[in-house]
Amino acid sequence: MKNPYMPMPVTIETIITEVDTDDIKTFRVVFDREEDAVAFQYLPGQFAEMSLYGTGESPIGIASSPTDEGYLEFTVQKAGMVTSELHGSDEGRTIGIRGPLGNTWPLEYLKGKNVVVVGGGFAFTTLRSLTRYMLDGGNRQRFENITVIYGARTPGLLIYKDELAAWEKRDDVETYITVDQGDENWQGREGFVPTICTEVAPSSNNTVAVICGPPIMIRFTLPVFFDLGFSKENIYTSLEMRMKCGFGKCGRCNVGSKYVCKDGPVFSLAELDALTPEY
Amino acid sequence: MVKKIEHDRIQEIIAALMEKGILYAPVEDEEGVNFHLVDDPARVTLDFYNTVQGPKCAFFPQTEELIRYRMTHEGADAAEVEPDESPQVLFGVRPCDVRSLAIMDELFCGGGIVDPYWKNRRDNTTIIAYAFDTVDTVDFYGSFGIGAADDTGADILMVKVDGDLLLDARTEKGTALLAALDGLDEAAAEDEKRFAAAVEGAGALETRRIDTDCVARDLPGIFDSEFWQTEAAPCLNCGVCTFVCPTCHCFDITDETLFSKGRRVKTWDSCMFTDFTLHASGHNPRTKKHQRLRQRVNHKFSYYVTNCDVISCVGCGRCTRFCPVNIDIAGIVERARKRASSQQINNQ
Amino acid sequence: MKGIEKRLREEAKKLLETGSVSAVLAFRDGYDGDHPVPFAARDVSDADAIVFNEYCTHNLARYVTEYEPGTKIAIAAKGADSRALVVLIQEEKVKRDDLVILGIPCSGMKDARRGTVIDEATTGNTVNPVIHDIMLADQLPEPDTSPYSVLTDLESRGHDARWKFWRKELSRCIRCYACRNACPLCYCDPCFVDQTEPRWADKSPSLESNLMFHLTRFYHLAGRCVDCGDCSRACPMNIPLYLFHKKVAKECEEMFGQTAGMDPEETPVMVDFKVEDSDEILL
Repeated sequence: MKNPYMPMPVTIETIITEVDTDDIKTFRVVFDREEDAVAFQYLPGQFAEMSLYGTGESPIGIASSPTDEGYLEFTVQKAGMVTSELHGSDEGRTIGIRGPLGNTWPLEYLKGKNVVVVGGGFAFTTLRSLTRYMLDGGNRQRFENITVIYGARTPGLLIYKDELAAWEKRDDVETYITVDQGDENWQGREGFVPTICTEVAPSSNNTVAVICGPPIMIRFTLPVFFDLGFSKENIYTSLEMRMKCGFGKCGRCNVGSKYVCKDGPVFSLAELDALTPEY
Repeated sequence: MVKKIEHDRIQEIIAALMEKGILYAPVEDEEGVNFHLVDDPARVTLDFYNTVQGPKCAFFPQTEELIRYRMTHEGADAAEVEPDESPQVLFGVRPCDVRSLAIMDELFCGGGIVDPYWKNRRDNTTIIAYAFDTVDTVDFYGSFGIGAADDTGADILMVKVDGDLLLDARTEKGTALLAALDGLDEAAAEDEKRFAAAVEGAGALETRRIDTDCVARDLPGIFDSEFWQTEAAPCLNCGVCTFVCPTCHCFDITDETLFSKGRRVKTWDSCMFTDFTLHASGHNPRTKKHQRLRQRVNHKFSYYVTNCDVISCVGCGRCTRFCPVNIDIAGIVERARKRASSQQINNQ
Repeated sequence: MKGIEKRLREEAKKLLETGSVSAVLAFRDGYDGDHPVPFAARDVSDADAIVFNEYCTHNLARYVTEYEPGTKIAIAAKGADSRALVVLIQEEKVKRDDLVILGIPCSGMKDARRGTVIDEATTGNTVNPVIHDIMLADQLPEPDTSPYSVLTDLESRGHDARWKFWRKELSRCIRCYACRNACPLCYCDPCFVDQTEPRWADKSPSLESNLMFHLTRFYHLAGRCVDCGDCSRACPMNIPLYLFHKKVAKECEEMFGQTAGMDPEETPVMVDFKVEDSDEILL
């Protein structure tokens, strides 16, 4: 019987510091064992438990896309014991991961539709996975118009800067990058994410919005989409909860009868409405 | 085919069971009678109403080693602690507690991923149930269709009658175990009658009852109600209820390291603790104790039903008996049901 | 006791009617009369549900720290409860003026679960409240027993025997934290044992971690514990925590000449320094 508590060893290949406050880093990891790499089949939206023996585990969304072969990427914000230990690690360190865990962005449901991806600050990791996936080669034709609206407080806090620049140059995705407050070098847009959403005003016709962000951003962004005519079935988000087992047995991450690790983390707003309001 | 042994010779049977596998049985200790791993047959007793804690420790110990590791320059060397497959015997389990195991099976063995630590032990354990011959005022297991001599889930049913222990197998595993125990006497026809009479007598015992009809459906309706603040007001937010409960299953996974060596362990946790849902960011969806009590009651009586089709409570009464402030979960559920009903009437 | 219950209800009604307090901390019936539940009466109508009997053993001072500072609270306080209130006042967790203390002199309380009478062996011998606003019964004669006589047996044993005793007892602890959560003076948020950075004790109830928790808690309560015994009564494993608390309290009294929770004007010994303090611990 497979032991679901046992992590698979991976080695940290590269570490990229994403932000000028140094507290968000992207770790590219490679499986030590071929059979683990083959078995790890995931889709955007899922997460894995990153394991550091001696410290513990932490659930982190997978930021790479399954179309990125040969490696996985995790973008991690330094917050507690485990993430601090991870941030203090060097390239070449062996750590563990358990997964893939959780459900995925609703790729089947998105097929043939326009997709609006909205993210804020650190809450963009699995949205980046989704966008990379949708834009990749043969996948692109399965979706109609793709719009990305992403912002951070300052230019230094934008994550995946190079990737955002590359998307801006493409003509198969409309990219709107913004910051709350620019600096002397910033040439781009200034404005809060909800404001930019109002300006972009994506049509709700045959469109699904996928929104992640800090609570304050969500609070002001959702009304914009409701005003644009988006129904709750057509707005998706990803929840965060304190997790331990990651597969719905330790009882910790539930919202009502749903476990965020197993029945989520992806939920439509309609699904969330049916749950008890405790997150 | 009933087997028997005089109650006074119980040590013989315990010693014989110890040879068949790891034995968990009720043992008298400072806390009272509680399930322990038996190393001395003399300490086992059947003189109790029910044990301090349920028998889940035989399958889900409070501390379970998952992995042992040693830190190295590149990371760590780690080895899985393989889930135990040793044969076990669980002796002297009351019918409500036997039922708790099937309820926990839904969680640990269901939902796509199986917990091998739980499952292996469950597969390799023979359960000897011990019928009640009295009721007390706190139990309410009758509310869940559990009888005082209920044998559901048991491999062997045991009754204590007039100084004798009478045992009857209910499954092949039970038959095999009874056949392998030399110290037991074959029962005479009269003993079969006494066994049947004891079971029937127990069947007539009535615990207090709560109405569990529609509770699962109705509880979420009063989620926002001040009801929970009133009910939770005396609660101390300790973990006694969860740790004596035979169906509570929340656990933590932590690494315990000393210098460079350590182990990753699964340990019992409690949704009643203030930091149970505390995020590393500092955010906590359940900061108030009424939110935590509401979670516990809703989880057992509603969410578990949604996910596993069964209420995660067997009415053993332990949480009530051991709560330092005498909170009674049966009372809470009854009042919740009434509250939900009246709210629905008001909304019409 | 019935007289006390009647007076408690009367006073509660008066206080709630005039609105001079937001809550009266007392007891109500539980699933039966022998298992009362701590209860905050908020309306005049709640006052009729108040009970007081020999099973009302809980230290209601435990709930005072749950209220917003400045909330006016009336509280039914037995001897040790009143001492806990004194410590809370000394530590500025509550203002004297915000409390209406309904003093209850009593002895012979009972532990329903264990079927025993509670005496100075497992609790202090404070039968009369040390502060009060209204006394709900006549003062009882002061006992001539010592709350520390129960320590004689343990004190007479040698170091190794005592260490063996506590190792056995504390290895039975299941870390349910009933003791900590029942204590009116364990109000730290977060408690040291719940912290992860640094992690003082492991989650699992190994002897080492249990010792870390209990020994630290015993010493955090030095000069503060009022010997109410609620921790020991709350323990599902019947660990005699009172033996350690009493020993620490006794040593504190001997070294510093002050008993915890007697006078709101005093400062708790561990927070205060006097030139004449014993320096035994330094030598």
